[in-house]
Formats: sequence, C-alpha cells, structure tokens
Amino acid sequence: MRVFWTVVARELVRFIRSWQLVLVVLYAFTMEVYIAGSGIELKPRNVAIGYVDESGGGLSQKLLHYFHEPEFLPPVAFHSQAALSQAVFDKEIILGLIFDEDFERTFRKNKHATLNVLLDATAASQAYTTLSYLSNIVLNFSDTAFSVELVTHKLFNENANNATFMALTELLSITTMLSVILTAVVFVKEKEDGTWDIMLLMPVDAKSIILAKSFSQVIIVMIGIVISVGFVVFGAFDTPIHGSFFAFLVLAFFYAFTGAGIGLFVAAVAKDVMQVAQLSVVIMLPLIFLSGAWTPIYAMHPWLQTLSLLSPLRYFIEGTESIFFRGTPVLELYPYFLGVFSVGSILYVIGFRKIGHLF
Amino acid sequence: MRLVVRDVSVFHKNRLGIAHANFEANEGEIVGFIGADGAGKSSLIHAIAGVIACKGEIVFDNHTYRSCKEAEPLKARIGLMPQGIGLVLYDMLTVSEHLRFFADIHDLVQNEAFETYKTRLLQMAGLEKFQDRQAGKLSGGMMQKLSLICTLLHRPKLLLLDEPTTGVDPLSRIELWEILEEIRRSEGTICLISTAYMQEAAKMDKILLFDEQKIIAQGTSEALLQTVESLCYDPGTPCVEPCIKTLQTLYTLTPLASKSTQTPTLEALFFVNALKNDKTMPPIVLSDKEKSDFDGDVLMDAKGLTKRFGTFVANDNVDITLKKGEILGLLGANGAGKTTFIKMLLGLYPIDGGELRLLGKTIQTPQDRQALKASIGYVSQHFALYNDMSVQENLLYFASMRGLPSETAKERIKRYAQELGFENYLNALPPELPLGINQRFSLASALLHEPVILFLDEPTSGVDAIARAQFWELLKCLKEKWKIAILITTHYMSEAEFCDRVVLMRQGAKIADDTIEGFYAKHPQAHTFEEIFLEYFR
Repeated sequence: MRVFWTVVARELVRFIRSWQLVLVVLYAFTMEVYIAGSGIELKPRNVAIGYVDESGGGLSQKLLHYFHEPEFLPPVAFHSQAALSQAVFDKEIILGLIFDEDFERTFRKNKHATLNVLLDATAASQAYTTLSYLSNIVLNFSDTAFSVELVTHKLFNENANNATFMALTELLSITTMLSVILTAVVFVKEKEDGTWDIMLLMPVDAKSIILAKSFSQVIIVMIGIVISVGFVVFGAFDTPIHGSFFAFLVLAFFYAFTGAGIGLFVAAVAKDVMQVAQLSVVIMLPLIFLSGAWTPIYAMHPWLQTLSLLSPLRYFIEGTESIFFRGTPVLELYPYFLGVFSVGSILYVIGFRKIGHLF
Repeated sequence: MRLVVRDVSVFHKNRLGIAHANFEANEGEIVGFIGADGAGKSSLIHAIAGVIACKGEIVFDNHTYRSCKEAEPLKARIGLMPQGIGLVLYDMLTVSEHLRFFADIHDLVQNEAFETYKTRLLQMAGLEKFQDRQAGKLSGGMMQKLSLICTLLHRPKLLLLDEPTTGVDPLSRIELWEILEEIRRSEGTICLISTAYMQEAAKMDKILLFDEQKIIAQGTSEALLQTVESLCYDPGTPCVEPCIKTLQTLYTLTPLASKSTQTPTLEALFFVNALKNDKTMPPIVLSDKEKSDFDGDVLMDAKGLTKRFGTFVANDNVDITLKKGEILGLLGANGAGKTTFIKMLLGLYPIDGGELRLLGKTIQTPQDRQALKASIGYVSQHFALYNDMSVQENLLYFASMRGLPSETAKERIKRYAQELGFENYLNALPPELPLGINQRFSLASALLHEPVILFLDEPTSGVDAIARAQFWELLKCLKEKWKIAILITTHYMSEAEFCDRVVLMRQGAKIADDTIEGFYAKHPQAHTFEEIFLEYFR
C-alpha cells in the first residue's frame, strides 16, 4: 500500500510541476467547455438577407419588416437578379428573395403568388432554419381555413437553451480525451526519459505501479471535472441540476477509469508522446462519434446503433443528461452505471493486461 | 586549399556551444577533436559545416563565412556526417539505392569516372557484396561505413565527421580509419574528426583538446604529450597540493623530485588543465555497509543463459560467474548482446534457457525475479532519473519503492550525500547537475538498499576524464569495503584494465573470459587491451 501511495504522490507532484500541462488541462476543462457552450449556435444569427423588389413595394416591404436583429441583418436591396445571384455566390448574402413584378398583384387577385428564394445551402442548418422562419412569416399572411394552433411544452430544458447541453457534452468529451491522454503519457514519458527500466527494476508488484499511476491521473481528471462543473456548467451557464450531483461524480469516476484503461492500451503500443497523440485521436474519434455526442443515436444507421452499445461514452452522456436534465432518481440510473461499469472494466482490464506484458 | 578558423564562438540560443576557437588545417590533414560530451566539439563542427551561424570567421578555400547563407556556395565541397549510427541512412533503401540517391541530391554527373570512383568507395568499405541489402539490415559498423562513403560520394574537399567511431566494433573502426587515410591521400581532403577515444589520437596529424566549451590545447600528439611528461607520477609518490590522484597516475602542477616511470596519455592534459583552473571534484569516502555479508563466495552464477526473440537468438548459451568483491567488465560492440544479457540478469527479461543462481538460489518464478531485483543495484546509460524531481526527492522515492523505512532512508541519503560529495546539490534538479555529479548521485540511488551486486551499463560514456577516473576510484572503494560484485559494460578499452576479469561478447555469444593478467599472458605481444580485443575480432 505504501508503494501505491508513493507512486500516486509522485505522479501528482510531477503533474503540478509541469505547469504547461496544468495550463492545458485547466484550459480544456474551463475555456474549451465554455467556448463549446456559447460558441456553437444552431438558431439563425446575423443572417444576411438580400432582395430584388420589382413588385413596387407594399406587401414585399411588409414581409421584409419581419426580418430583424439579432437573427437577421437588415435586408439589402439589389437592382437585378443577376446582382443578387452574384452576392449569394460571393457569400455576402445567405438568403436572397425575389419579388416578381406581378407578385403583389397576383396575391391580391387569386392569392397564389410565387416568391422565389435563393438559398446558400452550404450553411445548411442556418439556411434551413431561416427558411422555416420565412415560411412561418408567409403563413401569417395567408388566410388559410386550416387553423391549428400549436401549444408546445418544452420538457427538461425549458428555455430550449442549447448552451447547457453543448457545454455538458463537451465536458464529457474532454473527460474522455484527457483521461486517455494523461494516463498514456505518464507511462510513455518513462519510455522517453529512459526511466522505464528503473521503474521495472523496483522489487514491487507491477500491478500496484500500473494501478497507482492510472489512479493518479483519474484524480486529476476528477478535479478537472469538479472545477468545470462548478465554474462553467453551474457558474457561467447556470445549468439546473435535477438529480444527484454525487451520483454524477461516481459515474464520472467510473468513466475516468474507463478512459485510463484505453490510455493504458495506447501507452503499451506508443513509443513516444507524439504517437500517444496520434493513436489517441484514432481511438477516441469513433468512441465520440458512436456516443451520440454529435448525432442522436436514434438518427444513426441501425448497425451503427448496435455498435454504439460498445461506446462507454454513450452511457456516460445518457446518464449525465438524465441526472442533470431529467432528474432521474439514483436507483433508476442503474442501466447507465451498469453500461459504464461493464464496458469500462472490460476496457481497463484489456489495457491493464496489454501494458502488464511490458513489465 | 586551406581551412582557417578565427575566433569562432557558437551560441545555441543563450547557451554557449564553443568559445573563441582558433585553428588551421592544410590540405590532406586529419585534425582530431577530442573531449567529453558537451565540451563543444559538435558545435564547432556544425559551424565549420556551415549549418549553424557563428561569431568570428571561418575561411575555407579563400571564401569567408560565418552564417549558413554565406557558406552556401561551399556546400558542394563540404561533407558532413552527423553523430549517431545510421542517422543519414534510410532503413528501407538498399546500399546501391543509397549511392544513387546521394548522387542525385548532389546533382552529380554519373559518367564513367563517377562509376569508377563509386566502385572504389564500395570496395574500400567492403560493401560491394552487399549492394542489394537494405541499410536497416546492416550491422552498426557497416552502416557507419556506408554513411561515410555516401558522404564522400560528391568528393568533398572538407570532410567533417562527428564521432564516427563511437559504439562501432573495433574492426570496423580500423576500416573506417583506413578509408579516411586513403581518401585524404588520394583526394587531398581536409578531415575533421571528433572522437571520445584518446587512442585514436595517434592516427591524427593534429589534435584539438576540448573541455568546457574551450579548446584547452592543440598540436601533434607527441608535442602535447611532451608538455605533461614531467607532471605525471606513480600514484604512490608523495606530493604537496595541488595534485590529483587516480588509480594509475598522480598528476601535479609542479615537477616532483622523484623519477617518473609513467608514460603519459592525452588524458593527462585534462587533469593538468583542471589543476590549473582549480576545479577538482569533491573527494569520495565510503563507510561500511549496514547489512551483513552473504557467506558464500559466488554471488551470481549463470549457466547456459539463452534469450530468443522469435527465431533470432540474442544470447546463446552464455555462462557467467560473479564473485564477491570482483569487478567484471563486459565488452563487445553495439549489438553484441550485452544489454539483452544484462536485462536477463536483472530479471527484466524472462530466461529462455539455462539456469541463473543468485546467492545460491535458483531464479525460476516471477517471485524469484522480484527477490533478484531486491538484491541488485543498477545504473543505466545516461543515468536515467526523474528529471522533474530534485536529487533528494529522487532518492526518497527510490528508497520508498525499495521499502526502506523512511528514517533509515533519510539517514542514508544524508550519509551518501556527504561521502559522495553531492551534499550541495540535494535540492537541485538532475538536468542542472554536472555530469560527474549526476553519475555519483545515480550510483547513490542504486546503493540505497545496499545491494550485493551492482550493474553498470556504460556508466562512463560521455563523462570527462576526471570524473571518469574518480568514478573508478569509487568503484574500487565499493569493491574493497562492501565486497560487492560489480558488472560493468564500457566501450573505453582503457577502462578494461581496471577490471579484475573481462568477458568479451560477440554476436550474442561469449568468446573470452579471463582475468586481465590472463589476457596479457595469452597475448604477450600486446601492449594495450585494445590490441588484445582486436585479436578476438580478426
């Protein structure tokens, strides 16, 4: 036991002494999470609109009034369709509206007017949400007999606030990344510095060294998570938590060990820190893709959905969401704990064995 | 064709590489740079090769330069072979592909004259039979010869070789020198060669001695030796300070009355320089060890040890015995299987065949290997220790890993620090230490648990002459006071003479095992151990 704590203490001291690493970890857990939360915007914002109005004003101007800041920039008038097309081509305008000469006349007569829309579909999500705004606006003008009013009840995320969700997802991805890389690096550093043999020469059971080294990095990741949740998730984004915070910490602890297991595997294969970086990316990307962090699992191809059962991050994300947003009672969280724990322990044992062969 | 170096200084960012170097070399001369690692040899070589900017000026063939840009027009006439075996080679290319590649990047006209020259180079290097072999599958010596002929392919008039012979087997070393001798005679090339081996000085026309970023002496080998002839005495001679005593020689600044029987070596110049600058290392004392001795005489006994990696046999049936109070030298070229063998003895590799007995007990299970690890000490090449922890923290960590009670550990660390003279450095980080002090503290970390056997893997490579001499004194002290068995590998042949017994290894097998006296008795015509060593490789 003394050996275990000696190694843990040493690794923590070494971590604190390498201030660059401390900075990177702090940055990842704070700024990175904050930027992901506040930076990624799915609603239209500052969308540039251009129009050509040959209808003589009136209805067209009324329509254009609905496009206002902050979602849209003030619409810009163009003299010809050619000029508008060119502006869309040059990425100056995302949405171009063309009001024909007889647009208003037709509208008044038989109410079947046509409004031509040029859409820069490369900014796909912004363009399509803008389009749905436009349809809503146009719908208001047409007196249809079909009148159904939608009354929405937003569940779990009452303000439909995207930031909290993005920030939390990013925190979980960062946890994955750092638990893998930090763990791999503490072993590979020994290879690089030539202290590997010295470490092996200690008359100490290899298991306690491996366990202690990965445990020390799990501690660092846990501290990072607490800082991140405290300052960014709760502090900056004011995310509500409906479930048990303690349950989240336990889940995160298991998950950090899962990452450490992958890190052990990487460390066994990599020769230097450079290779750790390369290998970690190759291993982590599918893990994150399959977790539902970027695409909801139900939207995936069926066999990808099956594969996603293997990604421990999937259980971690779903579990964390349930704790934060749904407020699921602790006992009902067992599928997520079971998922993280079973996939995690399999990965840890594989990594442990792989690096154990080098001892 | 002449090379003149005037007041050249090189800085790597803010760190001094070499200060105020001055020397000249004429057509066809071989100039040797001799000194320890970090003494400034490589910095000067790089400045002359025009790959690093410098202060002062370098004149070659009436063209003056001090930066990479100014040296550009001369590059076609300069050949540089950097330090490290096979560094300029590509593992997957064959020998003939290398020659074609180097001809192409130098944009050489590949006419008949070129072909003749190429064939001649191949013959000199003894590589004409291996033209289709990939460089990665050549031995270290062959790789080094291939690097040399690739560097010679564009017929440089100024050839710069940075430690071309370090770690190369002795036969290839001789062949490398033969190629150089031939080239400088037929092509009139100026050759600048750095080396850590004093013995190679005899083959050089002029020698520059490097110490602490300065050239401390230069001239022919004979002239240099003459300057120190009257300053070297037998170790027993009484002497007033200042003087330095090593196992073989006593160095002083003022000639003594008694007659000297010593023939000085170039190392003497380093000692005299140290005396002049009043920088001697702290002395070493050693108190008795606390643990009681093992009763038997044979500490470790290995019979028929074999190690295989796949189909490759790294060690084949090696026998070795380590007796109490004995220094055993393990000698062999790079790739001879020394490291694999030591790793087996250390318990790092499982043994594939044969039997290893430690303190009369056979090592079989992994538990046995743990016991093995507990009774040996090990100092690796480059004194690998944790660079982000202070000397004191390093030692405490190792003590704790070895399961020493913390009181005992603190007490021993304090004692070693006093006795081995690194007391003032206890709070420094290892990279800040002078190499010689680093070496002592590495040794201290290997001695904390009072092992019965000490393994030292090239502990003296790159360390300057003085630190090396003191290190050997310390080993002798350990052997006498602690009756410890020491197994040491080295590529300084002169150090073999300090060992009690020497084992020679070649291609994974033991080819000789005898006492130093025994070796000399078997080879009465040999003057130095290097000559004996060569006998076994011919």
